Amino acid sequence: MSEIAAAGVRPAWRSRLGSGAEVARGTPDVRRRLQLGLAAIWLLDGVLQYQSFMFSKGFSQMLAGTASGNPGAVASPITWNATLIEHHLVLLNSIFATIQLLLGIGIAWRPTVRLALAASVAWALGVWWFGEGLGMVLTSSASPVNGAPGAVIIYALLAVLLWPADRAGKPAPFTAARTVGAPAARALWLVLWLSLAYFALLPGNRAPQALNGMIAGMESGEPGWLAALDRGAASLVAHQGLAASIVLAIALVIIAAGVYLPTSAAKATLVLAIVVAAVIWVFGEAFGAIMAGGATDVNSGPLLALLALTYWPVRAAVTPPAHTAPALAHTAAADADEGTTVLWSPPGSWTSSPRSCSWSRR
Amino acid sequence: MVPAWILDIFAAIMLVVAAVSAARLVAARPWQREVRRAALADIDVAHLLMAIAMAGMLAASLQTLPNGAWSVIFAVMTAWFGYRVVRDAQVSGVRALAGGHCAPHLIHAGAMLYMFMAFTAPAAHGSGGMGGMGGMAGGMSGMGSLQLPLLAFLFALALIGYSIWDLDQLSGPGASGHYSLAAVRAVPTDPVLVGVGASAGPGAAALSPAPSVTMTAGPVAEPAAVAEVPPASGPADGTGVLAPWVATGCRIAMGITMAFMLVIMI
Repeated sequence: MSEIAAAGVRPAWRSRLGSGAEVARGTPDVRRRLQLGLAAIWLLDGVLQYQSFMFSKGFSQMLAGTASGNPGAVASPITWNATLIEHHLVLLNSIFATIQLLLGIGIAWRPTVRLALAASVAWALGVWWFGEGLGMVLTSSASPVNGAPGAVIIYALLAVLLWPADRAGKPAPFTAARTVGAPAARALWLVLWLSLAYFALLPGNRAPQALNGMIAGMESGEPGWLAALDRGAASLVAHQGLAASIVLAIALVIIAAGVYLPTSAAKATLVLAIVVAAVIWVFGEAFGAIMAGGATDVNSGPLLALLALTYWPVRAAVTPPAHTAPALAHTAAADADEGTTVLWSPPGSWTSSPRSCSWSRR
Repeated sequence: MVPAWILDIFAAIMLVVAAVSAARLVAARPWQREVRRAALADIDVAHLLMAIAMAGMLAASLQTLPNGAWSVIFAVMTAWFGYRVVRDAQVSGVRALAGGHCAPHLIHAGAMLYMFMAFTAPAAHGSGGMGGMGGMAGGMSGMGSLQLPLLAFLFALALIGYSIWDLDQLSGPGASGHYSLAAVRAVPTDPVLVGVGASAGPGAAALSPAPSVTMTAGPVAEPAAVAEVPPASGPADGTGVLAPWVATGCRIAMGITMAFMLVIMI
């Protein structure tokens, strides 16, 4: 039963106890749901940052390790940052964890969504440099299988694409286009996935045992079943580095081009993107190594899947005509901008559909 | 090792949740009226018990009951909310499993039961698992671990998901006006359904044969055609400590804290 419908007949004590109508609900639209997905990942990252490993010297050593192979101008600040963290480990890591926790909460809390998304871009860029060594893209060891171009840069990309604003003009064909426009969104997608294809074909990644070593290296500290899964996957690609890299690169190129294809083909490539992201996350990243107890984030798999969902074709949203109930139109537009459906709408007015996120006249 | 002061902060938050839940129970006086009312106090009772247990797990000095007793309590609680979710599902369909208000509490109770059942004390603290003072708490600050870490991860994901959803719903215009936490007023109107399903999600509104209501709140436009909105009438209608957002806020705090505990014990 609808909470709203029920509220009118529910005894006062029930809502008093908060059992049934704890809050009256507004159904988020597609973009808001994706924002909530991003918020959940930030929140999980914040919680992961509180793990005991992060309060040990292993954390600062891990950060310092990302300087390796990077140019001096990039590596020096990383080393300086790692040293600073080592000296103030508990304080700084507590701050880092809390910031990420607040980013998740801020994105989920509607009044602060813009502030949190903007802050998340700044934070992600900082972590990308100081925490991930620019995703190792300037080294020869970047691989889509181990998280290149850096999971955290995808957070920033998602924050931009999910910014709660709409461009005037033609309706957006997919959620990611609502803020930056379809051409720019497609270009960003193309650059990301083509760069992944490029990384897959780097000499270090197409060596016969490269992929095998990468997957087998994830076993350490994992539960038995996951270690066995990794071992099985590693044995499948043993001595098949070149073939595996080529297959992966072809898949990534197809995915990159997918957003320029007609809707049905685009959907197929987006499904392929989600499948590839899942395979990378399970076998290449061992679920972000979360169950090994030393993960700072979920790694790139879930973020690539979330990104693919932002490009999923949607029926375009249409702004209600201004001459129809101006006050309501204003309210509706404001709500739509915040990514919500309109709860109040008298018969004959424009209302949003929770299923399609499109506008229809009742 | 996670610094003790961080665990203490989370324990303090849980004590606040426990105090608020107790205050809600006292203010609602579920024992004074009809039987049904007492049955629906389960949410606040669950919050109260979980908050006390979690505070004890986070800080050894706050431990109250033996771990075996907590396990029994949370097994009963899990069974109770499982029953309620099944009952909701029979009425509202499968959407109740995803969005019903009992489903998050089932996950909370299940996670608590799992933590008590799956905890393995570190070797240095290993004296019969979590038994006795400082069992789980000693385990957390001394980094005990949980068996079946995948289950811990899945529980943490579910708890974070529900917390994020609650945060969104609590701050949405449909919940309490444009970003204010004022009480939502429910006004019976004609049978036209204009709302969206809450616990059951989108599209579920049509399930209701009851007279529908229009939700109004704060600055949202209220044309003259809408029935006059009676003012909210004090605590009896869910303001103050009994305001719906208070319970949701408690649930959010517990969800995040529980996810934190699960993750640091993986």
